[in-house]
This record gives sequence, structure tokens and C-alpha cells, in this order.
Amino acid sequence: MGTVDLLIQGLGVAIQPINLLYALIGVTLGTLVGVLPGIGPATTVALLLPVTYRLDPAGSLIMFAGIYYGGMYGGSTTSILLNTPGESASIVTALEGNKMAKAGRGGAALSTAAIGSFVAGLIATIALAFLAPWVVSFALAFGPREYFALMVLAFVTVSAAFGDSALRGLVSLFIGLTLGLVGIDLQTGQARLSFGVPDLLDGIEVTTLAVAMFAIGETLYVAAQGKRAPATVEPVKGSLWMNARDWARSWKPWLRGTVIGFPIGAMPAGGAEIGTFFSYALEKRLSKHKEEFGNGAIEGVAGPEAANNASAAGTLVPLLTLGLPTSATAAIMLAGFQQYGLQPGPLLFTSNPQLVWGLIASLLIANLMLVILNLPLVGLWVRLLTIPKHWLYAGILLFATLGTIGANPSVVELGMLLVFGLMGYALRVFHFPIAPVVVGLILGPMAEQQLRRALAISQGDVTVLVTSPIAATLLTLAALALIVPMILRARGRGQVLTQMAADSD
Amino acid sequence: MTTEPLHRNPERRPDRAALVIAAVLLVLAGIVAWDASRIGGVVQYARIGPQTVPYAIAICLAGLGLWTIVEALRGDFPEREPQEAMPVLWIVAGLLVQLLTIRFIGFSIATGVLFALVARAFGERRFWISIPFGIVLSIAVWVIFARGLSLTLPHGPLEDALMNLLRPRTTA
Amino acid sequence: MKHVIAASILAGAIALPFAAMAADYTIMAPAAPGGGWDQTARSLQEAMTAEGVSGNVQVVNVPGAGGTIGLAQFAQEANGNPDRLMVGGYVMVGAILTNKSPVTLDAVTPIARLTGEFEVIVVPAASELQTLADLTAKLKADPGSVSWAGGSAGGTDHITAGLFAKTVGADPKLVNYIAFSGGGEALAAVLGNQVTVGISGYGEFQAQVEAGALRVLGVSAPERIAIVDAPTFREGGVDLVVQNWRGIWAGPGLSAEQVAAITADVEKTVNSESWKKVLAAKGWNNTWLAGDDFKAQLATEIENTTAILKDIGLVS
Repeated sequence: MGTVDLLIQGLGVAIQPINLLYALIGVTLGTLVGVLPGIGPATTVALLLPVTYRLDPAGSLIMFAGIYYGGMYGGSTTSILLNTPGESASIVTALEGNKMAKAGRGGAALSTAAIGSFVAGLIATIALAFLAPWVVSFALAFGPREYFALMVLAFVTVSAAFGDSALRGLVSLFIGLTLGLVGIDLQTGQARLSFGVPDLLDGIEVTTLAVAMFAIGETLYVAAQGKRAPATVEPVKGSLWMNARDWARSWKPWLRGTVIGFPIGAMPAGGAEIGTFFSYALEKRLSKHKEEFGNGAIEGVAGPEAANNASAAGTLVPLLTLGLPTSATAAIMLAGFQQYGLQPGPLLFTSNPQLVWGLIASLLIANLMLVILNLPLVGLWVRLLTIPKHWLYAGILLFATLGTIGANPSVVELGMLLVFGLMGYALRVFHFPIAPVVVGLILGPMAEQQLRRALAISQGDVTVLVTSPIAATLLTLAALALIVPMILRARGRGQVLTQMAADSD
Repeated sequence: MTTEPLHRNPERRPDRAALVIAAVLLVLAGIVAWDASRIGGVVQYARIGPQTVPYAIAICLAGLGLWTIVEALRGDFPEREPQEAMPVLWIVAGLLVQLLTIRFIGFSIATGVLFALVARAFGERRFWISIPFGIVLSIAVWVIFARGLSLTLPHGPLEDALMNLLRPRTTA
Repeated sequence: MKHVIAASILAGAIALPFAAMAADYTIMAPAAPGGGWDQTARSLQEAMTAEGVSGNVQVVNVPGAGGTIGLAQFAQEANGNPDRLMVGGYVMVGAILTNKSPVTLDAVTPIARLTGEFEVIVVPAASELQTLADLTAKLKADPGSVSWAGGSAGGTDHITAGLFAKTVGADPKLVNYIAFSGGGEALAAVLGNQVTVGISGYGEFQAQVEAGALRVLGVSAPERIAIVDAPTFREGGVDLVVQNWRGIWAGPGLSAEQVAAITADVEKTVNSESWKKVLAAKGWNNTWLAGDDFKAQLATEIENTTAILKDIGLVS
């Protein structure tokens, strides 16, 4: 009861006109920087935090919430329209979203992303308010071996969801895993695959690879088609926003995405992109329109976008309850809170209830403001696609390189953009799927580090990997996900064989 | 599943490009294994050290390379669209110009040239239009992101001149 | 109507940095935005502008490899230019050694040490280890049975763990150190009872210690410090002092007058009210040390760090 009162009190502060204005400025600035490919929410918040220092605590907190959610949101717009993921958590969105945009369904894709983000943000923020203590104890139960099991499950489910050829999917995945080896090994400080180039010691930036493979690879591929490629894209076919069918196909993925994304966001080593992978794999498996996956299935946008936003709220659970920053963004937010004289941690909810509930209320307001601002803009955004192709792709490359230059203006980094762009082009020409490369780069190092941590803690005893109940459950799920489709396929083949036998009779 | 033809065309010859891919994978496997062999041993309680996973990946890469050879010889790779080389070269040139010159001539000119060369790849031949347009666009972007939002974007003579114009006279 | 106001405020927010354009110092943070060095650089920027030490201060981020990429670039670009500064610290000393960086701190001009933080060793509240002596005994009996959670290999946390083992007479090579990537991952591992002890700067653990979820076994300070209610390593019988400090450098090839002018500017900033506010807000200690004292201390630290990294086995 006290909780609800405090929340209402917080909302009362947040909806004062001046605070609404701060929220508006926050989401606008956040979206503006967030759309830059290669500049994710973490950098966005870091760059814009000083802007908030000029305001009073309540106002700055509200603007800050706006920047955070705006930065999260900006990435999905460019993913859908330009096939240029702004940050790693919106890579999956580009897969189906951009196919939809090319088919004249960009409006529906943007809408389901916006509304899905809103729904997920709303539910997850409320869950943050009421479930934080339980979620956090669940998240802390995850040690290295549990994370390793989670990564195994992710590998199995995700790789089953990409592409139609096992060989080409695996080649893409292993290219990604190889790229993941580059850099200093966290556990021993040894340089791997760096060839003495200092810029490689920190490994390959996920966003650099994603921007290069998606935006630059795609631009090269379209250009190489010459006059055979269609001159312009028809931006809108049918209704601009979502039709009844889109709604019917979107609402369940929104909810499922929220349920997946929130706890994964709360895990100290989770990361928003892991939630989007799981959501995509799940939606593909559950969908009645499997054939549309890879060609623009709305579920593949709705689920991952919801998961992405839910995990953004999930990140705040350990931050507010334990003072535990579980992502780069959260670490910067922690610095921001300290600026307001707030020490996040177990004592925060009791020592500073007004500010905590003010923040939660601000997040709700920022979330609402984003959807109100963005839905009317959908029509304008999709018009971007009517820009003549030579200007459009020139602009895409301007933006793609801008993000990388802004994050790290080094010749080596820009060189990587070029090399990986050419690689993305070559993979497209030979019909290799692109996404598994990025997935391998993200999941590979995580899986390796967690495995080695688990074994170091146990001093080399391998049995610890299966003796924890959570790890055992996750590994069983992974085994089922691997074996069940094989059995089904074998059975299906059996049916086909009997049918063929019957035909030949 | 649907793209794999059930009955392979027996007249299809070994796929040369696919064999090149296989060779690339085998070379990559060799590089990864060679690099792993140079990593010094550090006492590790985990038993699997910094070289274990690279070796595993190298073995898998080699296996995938062999699998690719088999598929290439059987002509299992899907049909490819013919590619035009010139547009690709224009774009690569644009990116090269940008990365090599940006530190000296600043963000706006370097990116403006990239912009024009990409437009050229898509058939826009009028450089006297596309280069100025690209530079003006890049300056606008530079002002918003570098000055307004304190992103680090390299500046050159053009940006410096612009900032001098905008600078209040009193501080001189 | 509201849109007009919003637009004009937005325009104002964007236009603000135009206000003061007199180009003065450019401070390089050899790390991505958000980390400790970036915060130090940006706080210096704020304080220098507020105190009128400099009309316009720019912060440039050059991330990578523990600051060694930024260092290499700085040594080249700032040569003979008295307007360029670089933030760095103890982490860079270790990174130069482990990464075999061709450019070392000899290539730049040290100005001053600014802030510092001591390391603490913590255990979960339920841990059987009650005192530093318990830890020492366990470590001597079976070094592998003590798993240490901290930051990346070769960083301050790892070095401190190695020095601790060496000081109590255990082999630093046998320290079972589990590296976690920054942020709260190491803290989560300690809270979740996944490891024996956690080792990091006090700020990382402060909230949990105050809430009673973690217990501090010892602090790496020379004598007890106000914010931590726990014994020092020395009190626990381990003669070891470690401080993770941050400082500021200028480029090579400067005259003595230029170095003196820069030092005066930095000193004025550090003595200002604005800087004191920053220190209080971020929980940093003022560890001002300039000129030859700083140089001498740097030399000792590089020597000690090289020795311990060899003992741990990270540097051959």
C-alpha cells in the first residue's frame, strides 16, 4: 500500500508541465544520439549526462530517464528502415524489420516495435517496482556454471533459428566465434589473434561488426546488382500502421518478449542482446507463419523489441536494489545517481523512497512519451525510403561511419568497418546468413569465459557444470532443443518415405 | 529446406568459388591453431587455458572447410546472381578516402567525398552536385553531434573556419 | 505552443557549448566515455571551466588496451604542445607491461597525481573467514582453495591479490584469480557466494558493506581510513599498501616553464571548491603529488609492478 502511494506521489511530480518538458527534451536528445549506429545507450547516457546536471534532482532524474529510454529506442528505427542496427540489442530487429520495410510494411514494423517497447517497458517497470527483491535473488543464483549452461542453451536454440543450410549457418557462426577470440584473454592477459596490432587488443567491437556486415555489406550488395535492383522501394503497401492481423500476431510476442527480457536484463552477466536472441528463436518456433521468417515476419520484430526494452528495465533491478551495475549503461547511471547524492544499494528503497519512486514514475512517463512521439512520426520515417537510392545509400554510409568515428576515430577501426563490410558482401553473394556471425562474436567469448571461471573455481572439477539444479535444467532444455527436432524430422522423413512408397505403388 | 533441390543436376561442375571459400576456411583454421600454439602457459586451475578454445575452434573450422569441399564438388551451393564490380569499387574507394584522410582534412570534407563516391556507385555522376551536397550535409551533422552533443569527431580546416565565424568577437 | 518552447530549449541545450570557444586545454581520456579516466577528465573539464583556469576545455576519448593506445597517440600528437593533457593512472602502469606496449610512460611528461582509492578484500557475510588471519592461513594451506574475484587479469585487483600472496609467503603464481569484466560482475559473484573473496576498490563494494551483506577483511591503506570500518592489511599482519591512483600527464618536449605553468593551472583547479565538490560527490580522495615527488613515486611503482607481474606469471 505504501508502495502504491509512493508511486502515485512520484507520478504527481513527474507530470508537472516543466518535468514533462524535461522528459520531452530527454527522449528527443536520447533518440537523436541513439539512432547513431555504433553508439549505444551506454555512450548516449555518458555523453548526455552532463546536460542533466544543470537541473534540480527531480528534473534531472526525469530527463535522464528520457535519455535512457530514448537511447534504447533510437536503435530500432535505423535497424528497421536502413538495416543498420544502432546497438547490439537491435541486431535481431533488423533481420525481420528491414525485410518488412522493403516490402512496404515499414510502418507496421515501426509501430509494433514502438508499441511493443511501450508494453514491455510498462510491464517491466511495474515489475521493477513490485518484484525487484525476488528477481534479484534469482539473478544472484546465477554463477559462472549457470551462465555457461545458459550460453549453451542460447547457442542451440539460436543456431537452429537461422538459415536453411546447416553448413552455411555453421560456417557463419564459426567465423563469428573466431572473431570473438581476437584480443586480450580476460583470465590470463594473453593476446590472441592480435598480430601485434594494439588496436586489436580490446577485441572486435560488436557494433563495428554489426554496422559493417549489415549496413555496408548490404549497400555493396545492392550496388553490385546494378540496374537489376528495383529503383525505389514502395514505402507503404496497405495500411501505414498495424492492421488487425498485425495486432493479432504481435500481442503474444510482446508479452513473451517481456517475460524473457526482464529476468535476463536483471542478471549480472545477461545483457539485452541475449534476451532478443531467445525471443527471436522462440517466436520462430511458435509461429504459425514460419515461412515468413527471414522474409519479414512481424513476430520477429515484436518479440525481440519487447525483450530489449524489458531487459532495459531489468537492468535497473540489481542497480537499485544492490547497487550492482550489470551493464555499461548501468555503470554510467550509477555515476549519475552519485551526482544526485544517491547511493544505489540495498538501503536505497528505505533511505530515499521519493527519489526511487520518482525515477520509476519518470521511466513510465518517458516510456509513454516515446510512444506518443514516435507513432505519428512513423509516416515521416517511412518516407525516408522514398529518397532516391543514390542519396539514400550515400546517407546510410554517412551515418554508419559517423557512429564508428564518434565512438573511436581510429584508422584501424574504420579499416575494420571496410574489411567486415566486404566480408558481409561476400557472405551475401554466397547466400551465407549474416546474423550467426554477430551471434558468435557475442556469445562465444561469454561462453568461454564463464566455462573457464566455473572450472577455475572448482579447481578443474568438471562435474560442477551439471551439479547445480539451474545449470542442469538449462542443459536439459538445450539437449531437448537439439534432439526433439531431430526426432521430429526423422519421423517426418519417415512419413514422406511411406508416402513416396505409396506413390510409387 | 525448400532451397535444396532433391535431385542434383548431374551436369553441374565443381563450384570453383566454393572451393575458394573452403580454402579460406582451412587457412583460417591454420592461423588460429598457429596463434594458439604461441600462447605461453600460465598456471591455471581451470585446466582449460587460453589456448584450449582456439584449438577447438580451429578443428571445427577445418572440419567445415572439408565439408565445404564436399558440397562444392557435388555442386550443392545455390545459384548466384551475377555481380557488377564497378559500383563495389566506387564504394570501397569512398571508404578508403574517408579513413585515410579524415584526420587531416576533418570529418566534413572526408565524409562528403565518401557520400559523393557512394552516390556515384548508384549512378549519380554529377560530382559538382554530389560533393558540395555531401559536405554541407556532413557539416550539419558535425555541428549537431560534435559541438552540440560533445561527440569526438575529427575537425579540419573547414570546421575550424566555421567555428571561427561563429565565435563571439569579444573573446578575441 | 509546447513544441515551440521545447524546440527553443532544445536549441538552447545544443547551443550552450558554443558560448565559450577560446580553445585552451584538450584533455585526452584514454578510455571510452563513462569509465574512471573519462569521469576524471570530464570533472577536470568542469572544474577548470568553472574556475576560469581555462576558457574552453575539450575532452577526447581514445579507448583501448588499458589506455596504451591513447598513450601512444598522445605521445606523438602532444609533442611540444602545452595545450594537451592526458589522464591516466596505476592501471596504465600494468597495462603497458602486460600488453608489451612499445610506448611507455617515459614518453610523456608527468604533471601530478590527483586522486586515489584503496583496495579492500571482502567476503560474503556468511563466510567462515572472519579475519585477515583466517584468509592468510587458508591461503598458505592451499592457495587454490581461495578463489579471488576481481577485474581483468593484470589489473590493480589482480596485482594486489598477487602482492598479498607474496607478502604472506604464498606463491603468487598459485593465486586462483578469477577475472570478471568490469561493472558489478565481480560483486555479483561475491554476493552469490560463487567465490571465496572479492578484491576491488572500496567504492565497488561500499553499498553492500553498509547494508551488511559483505564483510571487509582488510583495507590496503597505510592507516585506517574514515569511510571503512575495518583493519588495514598491516594491522592484520600483512605489510602491504596499495593505492589505485589516477593522475595527469602532458606531452613530451615541453620547456620547464611550460611544465610549471601547466602544473600551476592543475594545482589551482585541484584546490578549488568545484573540485572539492567533485571529490565529495564521487567519493574520491585527494592524493595530490606533483613534480619530482610524483616522478620518483612513479618510478618505484613501475619497478614493483614489473616484479609482481613476473611473479604472477603474466610478464616474462
